[in-house]
Order: sequence, then C-alpha cells, then structure tokens
Amino acid sequence: MAVEQAAGRALRPAGVYHDRAVTALVLCSVVWALLGMLAGLYVAAELVWPEIDFGREWLSYGRLRTLHTNAVIFGFGVSALMGTAFYSVQRTCHVPLFAPRLAWFCCIGWQLGMLAGGLSLLAGWNAGKEYAELEWPFDIAIAVVWVCFAVVFFGTIAKRRIQPIYVSNWFYGALIIVIAMLHIVNSLAVPVGLSKSYSLFAGAQDAIVQWWYGHNAVGFLLTGGFLGMLYYFLPKHADRPIWSYRLSIVAFWSFTYAYIWAGPHHLHYNAIPEWVQSLGMVMSLVLLAPSWATMVNGVMTVAGAWEKLKTDPALKFIVLSLAFYGLATFEGPMMSIKSVNVVSHFTDWTIGHVHSGALGWNAMITFGTFYFLVPRLMGAPLHSVRLANIHFWLALAGTMLYILAMWGAGVSQGLLWLSLDEIGELSFSFKDIMASMAPYYALRLAAGLIFFAGVLLLAFNLFMTVKGRRTIAVAPPKTTGF
Amino acid sequence: MTWFLFAGDMLVMLFMVALVVWVFWRSPDKTLDATARIPLEDELADERTIS
Repeated sequence: MAVEQAAGRALRPAGVYHDRAVTALVLCSVVWALLGMLAGLYVAAELVWPEIDFGREWLSYGRLRTLHTNAVIFGFGVSALMGTAFYSVQRTCHVPLFAPRLAWFCCIGWQLGMLAGGLSLLAGWNAGKEYAELEWPFDIAIAVVWVCFAVVFFGTIAKRRIQPIYVSNWFYGALIIVIAMLHIVNSLAVPVGLSKSYSLFAGAQDAIVQWWYGHNAVGFLLTGGFLGMLYYFLPKHADRPIWSYRLSIVAFWSFTYAYIWAGPHHLHYNAIPEWVQSLGMVMSLVLLAPSWATMVNGVMTVAGAWEKLKTDPALKFIVLSLAFYGLATFEGPMMSIKSVNVVSHFTDWTIGHVHSGALGWNAMITFGTFYFLVPRLMGAPLHSVRLANIHFWLALAGTMLYILAMWGAGVSQGLLWLSLDEIGELSFSFKDIMASMAPYYALRLAAGLIFFAGVLLLAFNLFMTVKGRRTIAVAPPKTTGF
Repeated sequence: MTWFLFAGDMLVMLFMVALVVWVFWRSPDKTLDATARIPLEDELADERTIS
C-alpha cells in the first residue's frame, strides 16, 4: 500500500503489547550473566591456582569452563535475544504478540532447559562438541522451545498491521531459522543411553559440520541476533532513524550470504581439504564489508546525538559496543588469514578475540539495552544513573585489560611455539611456555573481577528498578503510515 | 563436488547482485525513510512518561 494513500488511516484497536514475558526473560538473562560470569571467573582463578578445584570433578576446569560458555551464550545471550525479539517484533508490527502463552512457554522452557543442562554439564554429561556440549535429551528440548520461539515470532510478523518488515526482524528471523538448521544438523547423533550419544558424522566430516555449526552460532546468534537488537534499540534510544536503511538491507543479505561459508577457518592446517580452508579464509575476509557497513551505519545514526552520550549510560554502552563490534569483526577476518592463523591458532589470542566480541560487543550492547528497556517496561526511571555510569567504566576497563592480557599471552605462545634452535628443534617446551603465562593469567583474573563487579552493579540497579513494580501496559499506535 | 559448490556459490552471488540492484532501483526513498522510522513511532505517544 502506498505510503501517501494510507497515511493517517485509523485502524481497529489492537489491544496492548504483551511485555510481561519480556520482563521475565530480561531478569532471567541478568541472573544467567551473574552465574555464567561467576563460573568464568572461577575457571580463570583455576588457571592461576589449579589446586582450587579441591579434587572435586564438578569443580574441575573442564566441567566449569563448559558451564561458563553455555551459561553466558545460551542463558544470558539467548534469554536477552528472546526477550528483545518479543519486545521489538510486536512494536515493529504494530500488533501484540501472536500466541502470548507460547511466549511464556518459551521463557520458562528455556530457563528450565538451561538449568537442567547446566547441572548435567557439572555432572560430566558432555557430547564433546564445542558450544554444543549438551547431550541429546537437552538437544531435543532446545529444538522444541526454538520451534515455539519461531511460531511466536513469525506468527506476529504474519499478523502485522503494517506492510514493511523492519530490518531488526530480518536479523532476528535469520537467527531463528539458521540456528534451528545448525542445531538440528550438528546434533544428529545415535544415543547409547540417557547421558551418552555418538555423533552421526565421523572424522573430517564431523570436524567440518562442528565448525559449520560453531562459527555460524557465533555468526547468527552472537552477531546476527545482536544486530537485530542494535537495529531496533539504537534508533529508538538515539531518537533518530537508522542513518541508511538501504545500507542496512544490503548489509543483512551480504552478511547472511558470506557468513555461512566462513566456518572452515577454524580448521586451518587440519585434515580437511585445502580448498575448503581457503574458501573459509576468503569468505571471512568478505565479511569485513557487511560488518563495517553496519558499524558505520550505527555510528552515523548516533552522529548528532553525541550530547546524549554525556549523560546517558545506556547509549554509552550501545555506542561502545559498536566500537568493539568493529574491532572484533576486523580482528576475526585477519586471524582467518592462514599466515596469521599459523601464529594465532591454539593460543590465547583466540580467547582474547572471543572476549573482545563477547564482553565488548554482546555484553555491552545487552547492558545498554537493559538500562534502556527495564525502566520503560516498569514505567519508572532507572534506580541509579550514577551506578550505571560506574558500571560503564568498570566494563570498559575489564574488557580492555582482558583483551590486552590475552593478546600478550597469545602472541607470546604463538611465537615461542614456532621458535626453532640452530639444529631445527623446538627452542622451548610446551610446559615452559605455559609456565611463563602466569602473569597474563593473573591479569586476566583481575580483568574478570573488574568486569564482574560491574555486572553486580547492573543486577542491583535493575532489580531495584523492578522492585515492587509490575510491567506497564503499552498500546500500539492507533494510526499507521503504511 | 567442488564445481557443484562453485556453481551454487555463483547462483547465490547472482541473487545478491540482483537484490542490491532491486533495493536501489525499486524502493523509493519515501518508503525506505518511512520504514526506517518504524521504531520511533511504534507506541502510543502519550504512554511514555520516562525522562
């Protein structure tokens, strides 16, 4: 329908938006951030003082590290994505959520699944696939909840009152469809008991499928999903439309096209075909274009609203997350170049890269969104802007220190491992090199403590904002321009 | 298999090029500007009192 023809047309009342499940998901996400980052802090401490596992299996590095990654990615990250997707899809469609009870099922089902899954990891159940460690009963439960998520999301889009589908919904939609495809294919396995299964794939095929899943989980969940969050909450908070809507659409499709091929860069110099490795490298380099297009689009959207940055901690977090997004999406393609990868692979450089994305991009944009969203959901101002500002500086300091420590550790490891003496033998033993990492690991622990202190402030601030209040009712606009 | 993947890759690339051309030629500025404003006008104006 042409814009000018329909402008101002009165439509039937559409009820109010369903936001209570959104509030629940946001609060659960904060709890998962605390639990997941606490587990991360503990494993960082174990790398400094290995004896603090006290000889108990459930406190061992192998189990707690897996709990850390699952809790922060699927507990903290997915709860935040589900909540913000439910919040924004109904608003950008001008209708309340489709099947709100199913949205509650997604919220509760996901939390129970993650809780039971986390306990199973501590008990030693492990499928042995990175970022897909949960065993087959949990894989099935995840698939069921995810399909319900898809029904609510696409059902809302199907009953929308305006014709265009806003760009954030394209990103959230890609998250839902691609993660379903990746999860189901990568989890195909033969169960041999309740707690053990064997992958349907073997050898090099298993490795390729695993990193097709692993890298695209990073791509479509930790990048695409959070770009959905960015494209809705940045314009909303800056109170100005996205700088170039055309660029956002082109960036979406080029991102979707290129990302799916990039996984093999995790398998450089491994027993997979050479051309697959090269394809992974080239597609990773191609990804620079859509990534930086999005970053430029985001920065230009904020241009003109710089004054707001002085006083608004939520916008500060979102803008800083854009800077880290730019850094991580530059560093990733560089690390995928085979001659760089020969130094960086299997070193702590990779850990630093992951955390520049996870802490600097994912966590910061989520914190910024929560500082903006929770007061709106509650219809009350944030409990303390000062605490949020302190959190901002703690998050920035913690992230920078973490990245610098891991860059130092990783580059040292890579160069020392490649050093040969005059007769062509390794100059340093693995044990000696790891022993020399102690100062870097201590710095990483300090960085984690600083970052976690900030998350404690966030949790206190948000729970004080929510305390004694209920989610307010907000209605869609009565008229629409489409 | 290599040629099959290459042909598939080129088809997707063709789709990308066609899409970019379509986005730039077929979408009038007015429609895109209005779409970009969706997040700014998605709630009843008088509902929001947060400063």
